[in-house]
Amino acid sequence: MGISIYFDDLSFTYSRAKNPALRNINAEIEEGKFVFIMGHEGAGKSTICYSLNGIVPRMFRGNYLGRVLIDGEEVSKKKIPEMSKIVGLVLQDFEAQLFSTNVELEMAFGPENHCLPRSEIERRIHNYLNFVGLANFRHREPSSLSGGQKQRLAIGSILALEPKILAMDEPTTDLDPKGRMEILSVADIIRQQKKTLLIVDHESEGAIDADEVWLMKEGQLVAKGPPDNILTDLEKMELCGIRPPSILKLFRLMNWPGSPLTFEQAISLINKHDLLKPERLKALPEIYTKSSTFPLLRVEGLKYIYPFHQVEALRDINLSIYEGEFIAVLGQNGSGKTTLVKHFNSLLKPTAGEIFLQGKSLKDLPRREIARLVGYVFQNPDHQLFARTVREEVGFALKMFGESPKKIEDCVAEALEVVGLIGYEDKVPFALTKGERQRIAVASVLATKPLLIILDEPTTGLDFLHQRNMMEMLKRLNRMGHTIIIITHSLWVAAEYADRIIVMKDGEIIMDGPTRAIFYNEEKLMGASLIPPPIIRLSNWLGTKSLKAEDMVKELKEKLFINKEIL
Amino acid sequence: MNIFLYLDKNTWIHRLDPRTKIIGTIILFIACLCFNHPLYMGCLTIGIIFIGISSKSEKNIWRLRFLILLLFLFSTVLWPFFLNGKTPLLIFGLLKLSKESLLYGLAMGIRLSTFVIIGLILLSTTRNEDLTNGLIRMGLPYPIAFAISTALRLVPTFAGAGAIIIQAQISRGLDLESGNIFRRASKFIQQAIPLFIYAIRYTNLLAIALESKGFDPGSKRTLYYEPHMKRIDFIILTILTLFLGFLIYLRIGLGLGAIIPERL
Repeated sequence: MGISIYFDDLSFTYSRAKNPALRNINAEIEEGKFVFIMGHEGAGKSTICYSLNGIVPRMFRGNYLGRVLIDGEEVSKKKIPEMSKIVGLVLQDFEAQLFSTNVELEMAFGPENHCLPRSEIERRIHNYLNFVGLANFRHREPSSLSGGQKQRLAIGSILALEPKILAMDEPTTDLDPKGRMEILSVADIIRQQKKTLLIVDHESEGAIDADEVWLMKEGQLVAKGPPDNILTDLEKMELCGIRPPSILKLFRLMNWPGSPLTFEQAISLINKHDLLKPERLKALPEIYTKSSTFPLLRVEGLKYIYPFHQVEALRDINLSIYEGEFIAVLGQNGSGKTTLVKHFNSLLKPTAGEIFLQGKSLKDLPRREIARLVGYVFQNPDHQLFARTVREEVGFALKMFGESPKKIEDCVAEALEVVGLIGYEDKVPFALTKGERQRIAVASVLATKPLLIILDEPTTGLDFLHQRNMMEMLKRLNRMGHTIIIITHSLWVAAEYADRIIVMKDGEIIMDGPTRAIFYNEEKLMGASLIPPPIIRLSNWLGTKSLKAEDMVKELKEKLFINKEIL
Repeated sequence: MNIFLYLDKNTWIHRLDPRTKIIGTIILFIACLCFNHPLYMGCLTIGIIFIGISSKSEKNIWRLRFLILLLFLFSTVLWPFFLNGKTPLLIFGLLKLSKESLLYGLAMGIRLSTFVIIGLILLSTTRNEDLTNGLIRMGLPYPIAFAISTALRLVPTFAGAGAIIIQAQISRGLDLESGNIFRRASKFIQQAIPLFIYAIRYTNLLAIALESKGFDPGSKRTLYYEPHMKRIDFIILTILTLFLGFLIYLRIGLGLGAIIPERL
């Protein structure tokens, strides 16, 4: 097998950027290999992808040094459309990639550009729709597909160009767990086709099957090698801002032998070395113990039907939320999570049923009063940023409520302190990183000191470091007395931070209870397409009360100590 | 949420060649310009609504009923003030209302909403890609045809983003329901800026996606949905042309259908 891609001392600085996005990348990828690239936000992962088909430096200009060779030819000397015959690029944002009015035309777009005969286009549509499992959706409108299906279509439409190399830039980031699995299994089939495959991600779960894993930090290629070597190097992973596999972390902290990456590996190691016996979790709190008897928010018989749709998006929801709770709402895309929480601040009005905030019906409360008591942070911070300075942005709601300049000043300073952005007052919100923009969005809601803060996927699209910062910040807010509700796809976030979990499926609440109890019921979670991460399965197997590696260690050490005493 | 105008049905209009539909639309547009008498305009509109129903586009017409009604009302109310007619109805200082100007305004109102309905029928029965292909086959350069269809394609996308932005700002206490028109206009900025930024980011990504799929405006490409002119297309175009000829004869030859003959 020959060399497919060759990076020859590649450096690139985007025009008008201060720091280089890539610094002296030297690497080669053999034909038919699967390379998994990980790194923090801004590490240069996307730039690597863009350099493969000439988007860097042809569309994004800047200072380009070194070379990228594909099959011995220099990429920067070729036009992007020409490169599309060799390199396929799938982007994170599937919405922007799909622009045709039906699935088959989306598939045909690339081959049409290559001026292939109609019969050949027909063959490719047929082949690759089957390949990504969308053959039955041929005449559907792309916008009516689920997230996982959209991304599969995006991949299919690239495969229809039959490129030798396929690069995917964070293809699973915006997807729910089911969508992630769909994409990873498609990636698996692509590998069997002997295509060279590059996947960029900041989650390590897909990396286990790769031939080679690269770690990137600040534009540099820090490490590369087989996954067993790279993924087990916890220090380097953390240095690059990647969440280390929790099971491995547990093993290291316990000083247990071996480097397991999956649940099965972990169990066989524990059994082999006779480290511990599986145990059933005892004394699981079945019913939620509430902190007060009077609910902050009460939902009674809520039903909702979207205009122009016949389907019930929410059916008969009854729910009480108490002050001081930290709730995670889980469920597949389309299960009704966002529809439900949008009722909490009256963005949507119930078709039937009623919602009470502090005992008063939302119907009787003025808009402004609701906005003041219930803060809502949208998934994409860019949907709300508009001001010239951070100060103006964060103080906007207070100004709307007619507060005095002095009070605004104080509240803004306080909010910025909580989100850790003191000193940013005069910066331009748009020029900040995604993680910072997300925090500005939270601060702008926080400034009014709402009792209840709702966040729609606060960690999506952030790297591990930013995810942790965001969640630690929410934990602090929760301790200060704010009630927090998050919608999330990230089960580890829910497991580590929330104290109550609500699981939704098809517009209904199917599970609602304390975090530990919910995660103990693996079967029911799977029924809602929520696949528990290995560490949770292991903690269920070992029967620990905590779900977080660090806390499990304490518990397990105690257990081992008692075992020794008995002996 | 479905915010596209195209309705995937299989009616006789859907099956027509996109070129027939584009030319037919233009012919009907001209037909609307033939009369300025509300009665004649009304008959034309009823005919066009029938075409709309037979192509199952009534859902979209109903969806945009407020826009159509608004155009109708504006035109009907405003036109009479700018025209003078022979039979005065009301004189109020400088304001003069006459029977002719009132009827003319009514006709203009009908004409404007009929334009919208004709356009809606075209967009409800023609895929974006078919429209592009039709325009290309009619001799329009590919980059221009592509730009037109992309612009049409982006309207619903940006409308969807706009709706989310408004919700996001309402959640932050932006009050869109109260205040006079000037106060409301001043709140426009909080919605416009995020939308502009979104549009710029989105089009940037779209450009990357397009070029990555080998899109090259300068080079030749295959059309997967190659339009074909069938017999029915020629028949319909002939009928429409004869119909237009007949209308022009009515207006110019016989001087019918005009309330104010010297105006269009």
